[in-house]
Amino acid sequence: MDLKERVCGELQKEVPKGASFTKFNTQHQQKWEDPSSTSDYSTRIEPPFQAFNQTSQTQSLLLCNNQIKVPMQDGSVNDLLQASKIQDWDPSAMLNNLSFLGQKIHQLQDLVYLIIGRKGQVLGRPDELLVQQQQLVTADLTSIIVQLISTAGSLLPSVKQTLSAATTSLGQCGEFGGVVFPSSAQGLNDGVQPQNAGGSKVSELPNSVDITSNNGNEQSNHIIEEHELKDEEDAEEGENLLPGTYEILQLEKEEILAPHTHFCTICGKGFKRDANLRMHMRGHGDEYKTPGALAKPTKESSSEPTIIKRYSCPYAGCKRNKDHKKFQPLKTILCVKNHYKRTHCDKSYICSRCNTKKFSVIADLKTHEKHCGKDKWLCSCGTTFSRKDKLFGHITLFQGHTPAIPSDEIKAAPAGTSDGATNKVGSVNFNLSYVSSESEVQSSSMDIKGGIDDAVGYFSPLSFDTCNFGGFHEFPRPPFDDSESSFAFLLSRSCNYSQKSGEE
Amino acid sequence: MLSFQSSKNVLSLTEDLLVRIYELLAAESDRKSFRLVCREFRRIDTLTRRHLRVIRIEFLPILLRHWAWGLKSLVLSRATGLRFSGLEMLARACPCLESVDVSYCCGFGDREAAALSSAVGLRELNMDKCLQLTDVGLAKIAVGCSKLEKLSLKWCMEMTDLGIDLLCKKCVDLKYLDVSYLKVTNESLHSIASLLKLEVLGLMACPLIDDVGLQFIERGCPSLKVIDVSRCEGVSSSGLIFVVRGHRNLLELNAGYCLSELSTALLHQMKNLNHLEVIRIDGARISETSFQVISANCKSLVEIGLSKCLGVTNMGIMRLVSACINLRVLNLTCCHSITDAAISAIAYSCRSLVCLKVESCNMITEKGLCQLGSFCLLLEEIDLTDCCGVNDKGLEYLSRCSELSCLKLGLCTNISNKGLSYIGFNCLKIHELDLYRCTGIGDDGLEALSNGCKKLRKLNLSYCNEVSDRGLGYIGRLEELSDLEMRALHKITGVGLEAVAVGCKRLADLDMKHCEKVGDSGFWALAYYSKNLRQINLSYCGISDMALCMVMGNLSRLQEAKLVHLSNCTVEGVELALRACCVRIKKVKLFAPLRFMLSSEILEILHARGCIIRWD
Repeated sequence: MDLKERVCGELQKEVPKGASFTKFNTQHQQKWEDPSSTSDYSTRIEPPFQAFNQTSQTQSLLLCNNQIKVPMQDGSVNDLLQASKIQDWDPSAMLNNLSFLGQKIHQLQDLVYLIIGRKGQVLGRPDELLVQQQQLVTADLTSIIVQLISTAGSLLPSVKQTLSAATTSLGQCGEFGGVVFPSSAQGLNDGVQPQNAGGSKVSELPNSVDITSNNGNEQSNHIIEEHELKDEEDAEEGENLLPGTYEILQLEKEEILAPHTHFCTICGKGFKRDANLRMHMRGHGDEYKTPGALAKPTKESSSEPTIIKRYSCPYAGCKRNKDHKKFQPLKTILCVKNHYKRTHCDKSYICSRCNTKKFSVIADLKTHEKHCGKDKWLCSCGTTFSRKDKLFGHITLFQGHTPAIPSDEIKAAPAGTSDGATNKVGSVNFNLSYVSSESEVQSSSMDIKGGIDDAVGYFSPLSFDTCNFGGFHEFPRPPFDDSESSFAFLLSRSCNYSQKSGEE
Repeated sequence: MLSFQSSKNVLSLTEDLLVRIYELLAAESDRKSFRLVCREFRRIDTLTRRHLRVIRIEFLPILLRHWAWGLKSLVLSRATGLRFSGLEMLARACPCLESVDVSYCCGFGDREAAALSSAVGLRELNMDKCLQLTDVGLAKIAVGCSKLEKLSLKWCMEMTDLGIDLLCKKCVDLKYLDVSYLKVTNESLHSIASLLKLEVLGLMACPLIDDVGLQFIERGCPSLKVIDVSRCEGVSSSGLIFVVRGHRNLLELNAGYCLSELSTALLHQMKNLNHLEVIRIDGARISETSFQVISANCKSLVEIGLSKCLGVTNMGIMRLVSACINLRVLNLTCCHSITDAAISAIAYSCRSLVCLKVESCNMITEKGLCQLGSFCLLLEEIDLTDCCGVNDKGLEYLSRCSELSCLKLGLCTNISNKGLSYIGFNCLKIHELDLYRCTGIGDDGLEALSNGCKKLRKLNLSYCNEVSDRGLGYIGRLEELSDLEMRALHKITGVGLEAVAVGCKRLADLDMKHCEKVGDSGFWALAYYSKNLRQINLSYCGISDMALCMVMGNLSRLQEAKLVHLSNCTVEGVELALRACCVRIKKVKLFAPLRFMLSSEILEILHARGCIIRWD
């Protein structure tokens, strides 16, 4: 519906800004090349844009857009909004949605016609324009597909209820936020009703700044790492809400696993955060640049008594599923997402360092990678722990498990009886027998009967007694000599003295 | 000792009869003689032997070949070179092993503990001062040897609450646990409190334990009979009240040096300890009425320790012994106001007295000893150090106690050879005698001693200036002697030392500081004959480089040496001597300037070996 106008609007814009024409295009190209990228805009960039003052020029430009849009908007979109408020699945609402999508497809058709018709007119820069138009068509198709999916998702009765709650809570956690359906519906509203400047809905819309000047900076500067915002799935364990005092919402698997939850209704690009979508919207026209549109959706609900909302996992039999006997609800949609991925999905992220630990939530992987390799507390079962008390707790719990002593130390240990020292002693030519007995120590698997004679080295790495220098029947009194050569007399086993056995 | 008319008679005895005879031999020396009679007798020993104490670890494989199969108890205390591979083999070879003592084995660490843990039948384990042992090693033992009943972990300084907690969860049969000197906290006491069978708990000098921890003990350890909290800085009388309140059947309470005063509140609780047999409250202030309360309630008291207690008077002791007639051990060290009156009362009431320590009680005279000699005929140990009132006459009275095995007469300057001869003549069971600075003692006294006291194991002759080579000749007759201190005997020479070295084959600890006249011939002899020497002090001796190298290199059991101020030795000689012993020496004391004169290489070797060097 609005695509035609959108293109027109852009063209209108382009004409007076002929100088920036190429720049504009290239920027869009960059952006659209990776529609699925996770580049996020932080909510931090809001304040400057709230202070942004619109110029009257841009408003006049908006005017023509609005005039065209109005007739399109009131019919289908209002119906859609109504449909979203209906508790249970309404076939007529579905029909409305479908017809709305049908309209969109028609508009796409028109756009393609337009492109064909215009080919001859813009000969100056045919390539660039063609690329831009191709992008537009692709984006629109993506948008249509997404909306089709969400329409299918709307078959779930409870989801519609989340519409307002989801979007507000989304603003809070700033990530994932919503579900495909509610946010895309919101996106639709945003896209469709820009002219209701005084309305409450529009005040939530992002203001639009000239995207050509800002887009690049934002991408580079305001990336929030996903794992910084971890959910508190476990933290809310202790919550004691009485059944019935809260509303249970359940999302479908597809919605939970959808990568993005906020979609631009104009180009269809997906976002994880509403704030980022608002930033994005600025590129679609000056009407999105009002302070009201850029502002964070205010918590209007705070004044009214709200029903506490809790979430249910769609997986049947799960403790987090509302049909479970000991149902424990999840607090936020973020919790739902992480819970579902951790518990009911394959662990597809493998740690590249240890190649053993697997995760289903990428944030978990990143957390693990921070500590991977630092786990020095090892159990005999192969489990590693970063903390000693965790290992000991594990050992207490499992019968027969013991702490393992790292194997590299084992190799060092036989030599440890004389490590370093032996070598040093050897280096000054003290060729005593314990040096040779060291080598025997290495063969550790000998049975007691057979190997016991060799095993002297086990017990005495210093076997002075095992070497027999022989021949000293008296106290020898050689003149003292500094050199080590005269040292053998020290090791006299065979003097007239029957060796006493060491046992008592 | 048995003797036989002919070998035929011997052979006609059946094996089981020989075994029964052998089992009747109590003394280890008699058993040794028995073993040496013939192969058949030796086989009897092999068959019946269940206990083995290894002094020189290098013989262990040979010894094990004979005895491994039936061996139940093995003492490897102070062994060097004991490594995990050897222990692994040992554990495999001795399937019946129930008790192992690896105390003071400096090489015993986690890996060794892991090896030992494969002896699953282990019930008793002593790992005192295994400094390298950590929680991991203890966990290995705890998991592997779950039948453990007795465990001693004194001075295993690496141990923490985690290890103790795991131990208490895995070895629930523990009856005896000693965690003295460890830096464990109340957390450990919380874990220990869950041991239902624990009877003996040693917490000596655990600096981080306090009254809060003892509260756990009050509620736990239902079988607790013996507790030792002596020298625990954090424990006060309120902590002891918790313990006493929770365990009415306590048999032994050791609270030395952790109480400033025996408070009335504690005393009130102690009234309930009707079974108490042993109490030690060393260093506390105690009033006469306290003695009254103790004697009125703790009638089964067998031992009381009042060392350095303030307020111990004759009257107090009299009140105590009037009711506690079963007292056998009485420690009154440094209770200066004790006189013959108290000793007489003790002697009269406590006829079964076995041990009396009255060090530094100057007012005791021959009268008190007369009473002891008359009534306390079971007396085995008496400490009369620094009691100037003791004289020859007193020793004569004392010598009537024929069971006496330990006699300490240090600083008793009024005794002479005559007094010692009474002891030598009558007290044949003496195995420890302290004559430190008894300047009246000479060679004749030692002659009498060597004729009678053949069992003497420990002797202190330091500063007995009159002793000469002849005296040491008599000492050489004492075959059992293992510990000899003879500092500053200026008359003795190499001849005397040689006699000692040749005669005292068991000599393990020799202190001859300031024996300046002893020449190299004595040290040569020492190097050849004293194979069991473990500790030696040669400071201020006239030993030469050569002899030092001999001594240090040849004595394969030597672990500790003090080598300060060796005037006849060169730096090279000391260096060489250290090289000769570096594989086994654990502690060495050296003259401080040598630190910069010895090669850094030898110091590094010693350090790498874990040898501790003290610079003096």
